[in-house]
Amino acid sequence: MSCEGYRDRLIDGLASGESSLDGDVTGHLRACAECKRFYEAQVHLFGAIDSGVQTMVNEAVPVSLLPRVRRLVAEAGVPRQAWGFAWGFAAVGIAAMVVIGVGLLRRNPENAGGVTARVPAFTQGVREAARVAPVQSQVTAAAPKFHTIKVKNVIVPNDGEARPEVLVLAEERAAFVRFITDLPKERDVAVALTRPATDGNDEAVEIALVQIDELDVKPLESSNQ
Amino acid sequence: MRELVLIQPGRLLAGASERGDESSLAHREFEERLAECGPLAFRVAYGVLRNAADAEDVAQEALLKAYRKFERLREPARFRGWLVRIAFRMALDRWRSARRREKREKQWEPAEQRSSGPTVEELAASSEFQARLERAMEELPEKFRSVVLLAGIQGYTLEEVSGMLGTPMGTVKSRLFFARKKLAEKLR
Repeated sequence: MSCEGYRDRLIDGLASGESSLDGDVTGHLRACAECKRFYEAQVHLFGAIDSGVQTMVNEAVPVSLLPRVRRLVAEAGVPRQAWGFAWGFAAVGIAAMVVIGVGLLRRNPENAGGVTARVPAFTQGVREAARVAPVQSQVTAAAPKFHTIKVKNVIVPNDGEARPEVLVLAEERAAFVRFITDLPKERDVAVALTRPATDGNDEAVEIALVQIDELDVKPLESSNQ
Repeated sequence: MRELVLIQPGRLLAGASERGDESSLAHREFEERLAECGPLAFRVAYGVLRNAADAEDVAQEALLKAYRKFERLREPARFRGWLVRIAFRMALDRWRSARRREKREKQWEPAEQRSSGPTVEELAASSEFQARLERAMEELPEKFRSVVLLAGIQGYTLEEVSGMLGTPMGTVKSRLFFARKKLAEKLR
């Protein structure tokens, strides 16, 4: 092996922190003064690296560190509170985003895409209704455009008022679609449905108290035995 | 219909005191970890920044973060590993931003005011070799650098370093080997 080869092995040994050398390397160092000098220089270099790194990382810890952290910890309070606050904040943020998003969608009735997005269950219901109970071909042909107008006018309020969304069963949805489809034939019903309700107060209903004059308590048959 | 629930005041008080006990127990446990790992966080940060004030700030921030996540870091080994990693990362971030700032300032500095090398004070403060070693360390990839720094901290074995970094022992050894070889190459 050449001197280069021995030197590579020397460096590998020193880099891996091995304290002893292989027999053939030791033999070469005895025979080659150049490599011996190189080895001694490398031992010195790796020693200097180790002590330099130790100087870097073993700096005396400032006495002020722990009291500072303790003070900040005392100010921060119980850790779970911080978590609770973060979750609460996130929940409020998400709720606000949802409310704003729904409000923005409802404020823009001209947006046809918006109308479609607002009533996905309804449109799905139309498809389902068509599948479940097919109507006359003339009605079906005229239906899409007419239905869209009805949806705008009847279901989606234009005043931006927040209305709760309701989950409806599939069969109920299909029945509703059939009802809407039949509405053009029943003009009076359509007008009555779309007219706002009057603001009349409900009258209180009085229910008479139940009076028991006599109460006869008899033991059960099983208790006599 | 209103539902009536029987409440036992004694049990309520016991619950409150249990919560208080739990909180003070967590506080005590954190205090133990702080005493044990506070210096470690500082040393890791100092190894990257080589400035005691900056390292103290980073260690303080890292410890405060650890406190906020203490519910998940109650296990001592987990706490130490997490703290070391976060302190190292935060120190690196600070070091990088300081270097960017320094670069920007140097760009606007008049040419005659630019110093070509370290100042007399800097030379007096650290030997030439130490300065070269620090530069060589900065050039090391992060994963090698963290292993060299942690292995250099007194009192920690390679096994503990492996635990702190969440890296297998063999990987730690090979990273240390390549890092030392690289440093020697640069300093030769």
